[in-house]
Amino acid sequence: MAASEANTVAAAATGTSNLPAARVRRIIKEDKDIFACGSESLFLISRATEYFIDSLVRESYEFSRLDKRKTVQYKDMAKAVQSIEQYDFLADIIPPTVSVRKLATTETQ
Amino acid sequence: MSDYEGGPANEDDLSLPRATVYKLIAEMLPEDITCAKDTRDLLLDCCNEFIHLVASESNDVCEKEAKKTIAAEHVLTALQDLGFGKYVTEVQEAHDEHRKQQTKDRGRKGSKLSQLGMSEEELLRSQELLFAEARMRFQSQASHAQSNNSTPGSV
Repeated sequence: MAASEANTVAAAATGTSNLPAARVRRIIKEDKDIFACGSESLFLISRATEYFIDSLVRESYEFSRLDKRKTVQYKDMAKAVQSIEQYDFLADIIPPTVSVRKLATTETQ
Repeated sequence: MSDYEGGPANEDDLSLPRATVYKLIAEMLPEDITCAKDTRDLLLDCCNEFIHLVASESNDVCEKEAKKTIAAEHVLTALQDLGFGKYVTEVQEAHDEHRKQQTKDRGRKGSKLSQLGMSEEELLRSQELLFAEARMRFQSQASHAQSNNSTPGSV
């Protein structure tokens, strides 16, 4: 395990989250259909979000690695979202990057 | 260094704190790998969507059980239903740790009384003594004030 993973693992060990509870709660409360969310549920959602970040970052990194790059770029994340079914809910935020050439041809038509 | 904590100025800008998420990203990648800034910001938006998704699904599970408050079990079911079952074991471990922490904190608060080293009877007795002393002080003050104020012939 890399030393850099220490923070996330440490948080798991002590039953805490790296994300601020108050902020997560405010984001949840934006949904007017939600009446109330217990503090334990809040904690679980926080932790799940951390695992989500971990997964998405690693999967995006795989694509940059295939391309032999040292920087994870937008297109890597776009590919990761496209390739994994559970990430379908992100399709609207990450429209797959369209090449400029393609855009130019569709405009002239 | 500015003291500005940086909460969102506008409710619409509500998202997780940038610095925290950037740090998490850095920890998850190998040391020599970086993440482009627009990609990091994109990830922030994805987190928001994820939170909304899980919260909403948890709420649906909660409503189906005719409950009003989202409970831990609802979140775990929601994660399964959404296809994030692989998170469930790890989240459950963290959950158990969290519950242990909570009981530890509660225990610490409760032991304050027992730390005094007095039995309940002794505590009650010492409390009554304190009341009696305070009463005496009050009464002597009151009678002292009365004798000062009273003038012959006054009613």
